[in-house]
Amino acid sequence: MLKTFKVTMASAMLCLSAFSYSQVVVVVNPANDASIDAKTVQRIFLGKEKKFSNGNAAIPINQTADNSVRAQFDESIVGRSSSQVSAYWSKLVFTGKGVPPEELSGDAAVIEAIANNPNAIGYVDAASVTDAVKTIPVN
Amino acid sequence: MKKYLLPISLMALSVSTAVNADVRINGFANFTAGMTTDESGLYGYDDSVDFSNGSLFALQISGDVNENVTATAQIVARGAENYEAEFEWAYLTYAINDTSSISAGRLRTPVFRYSSSLDVGYSYHWITAPRSVYNVPFNNFNGVRYDYSSYLGDWEVAFQLSLGEYNESVSGGSVEADELINLSLETTYESFKARIVAGRANNSFSQVLVDGAIANLAPLAPGLADDLALVDDQGVFLGLGLEYDNFDWFVSGELTSVETEDSFSPEDIAWYVTAGMRLGKWTPHLTYETRDGNQDFKFLDQVAAFPPEFQPGLMQAVAGLQGFFMEEFSMITVGLRYDFDTNVALKAEVSRYDNKIDNPADINTAEDTTLINISVNYVF
Repeated sequence: MLKTFKVTMASAMLCLSAFSYSQVVVVVNPANDASIDAKTVQRIFLGKEKKFSNGNAAIPINQTADNSVRAQFDESIVGRSSSQVSAYWSKLVFTGKGVPPEELSGDAAVIEAIANNPNAIGYVDAASVTDAVKTIPVN
Repeated sequence: MKKYLLPISLMALSVSTAVNADVRINGFANFTAGMTTDESGLYGYDDSVDFSNGSLFALQISGDVNENVTATAQIVARGAENYEAEFEWAYLTYAINDTSSISAGRLRTPVFRYSSSLDVGYSYHWITAPRSVYNVPFNNFNGVRYDYSSYLGDWEVAFQLSLGEYNESVSGGSVEADELINLSLETTYESFKARIVAGRANNSFSQVLVDGAIANLAPLAPGLADDLALVDDQGVFLGLGLEYDNFDWFVSGELTSVETEDSFSPEDIAWYVTAGMRLGKWTPHLTYETRDGNQDFKFLDQVAAFPPEFQPGLMQAVAGLQGFFMEEFSMITVGLRYDFDTNVALKAEVSRYDNKIDNPADINTAEDTTLINISVNYVF
């Protein structure tokens, strides 16, 4: 009984981790033809890169901290916890060196903003993706 | 504080009237409590709990003047100065392109790794950045700064050139410096960061006791008095910083030297090494820091050139003045940071201060003691 339970738990956790890893996807406007990889996304969201590979301005759109997809994005793509990302931006903000990405709440708001702006780049839960945006495979 | 209420409310008014103008208001605050285990005290703390010494509240207002020009003002009220609000920085930045910008006004001097965000406790793991390195009078300057940052492949490179002047209160007196030139170069490759910095300025230092001692010496030994005096003498600053941070753990250090050779002021060599781990919301860390400004007396050869009957008196003046400013101490800090939220951190630290020279006349150094601090750091 205990053994079965353990196996079930292990496979459940496996599913869960695989699920949560693929949950967050990077999205851009369908008109955006730039080549974008994980490093580009990281640099854009840390304010270190201001343009896409095709020379167009890149406008990152963040999600507010109360959305779980934000923590997943920060950890899997930016490579740090949301607190560390916030500490990083506090350094830039209070030295006048940068303005953190605009924050929207929820996947629907992000998708709408990206659909309306060819320069925008954001991330949402894979389940929320619609035809209005293009998914970028970065993982 | 009161006199700034009007400009702030005017700014707030202009924010609400000019809806489309991109005006950003951010702020940060540190509320720090601290005490030492001994009566002798340290860094403004003593054996009763103090809430103001390490506390501050700051507001930053920045607005885009046009597409390329941004205006920024930072107003800081420090508990150590009775929360009297002061313009810490006020400057205009012109973005030349995506990699270069020029700022002019009152700015932070980019001398150390954490100089730029020194007051923003939230931005680093300590409650206070190591004082042995960071307590210098040239953290802010008035002038012009050129910033460049870009990528060379996977290497991130940042370069800053600052030109200007500064006036600060220090050691019971005041420093005036002009013709400041400061260059810093920082490179980041994956988890590694290296930083070098070099600066110079023409310094003058004035303090009642020092000015008096030099004035007394001048009639007898004008050359020696001139050498001892810190008036329009070149001060040189050099620094090196290294860091490894893979976000699960980090280790970093900085080594600096500050010297005004042609003066009574001893050369100060200071360094620290810090390391910590990030365990979810917890960051335990350990820091060792030291400052060595306990050097051989300068100008003794000049004293030796005087007739023997004058030497004891001159020696007393020359050694006394230099000894007055010599210091040598180290401090070990054990601390813990807890990320309460994405804009709030709670911190606790215990530091052991070890004074290595026994000089009761020394104004810079304190007795051995243990300093305990707790702090809440907030950004908005």
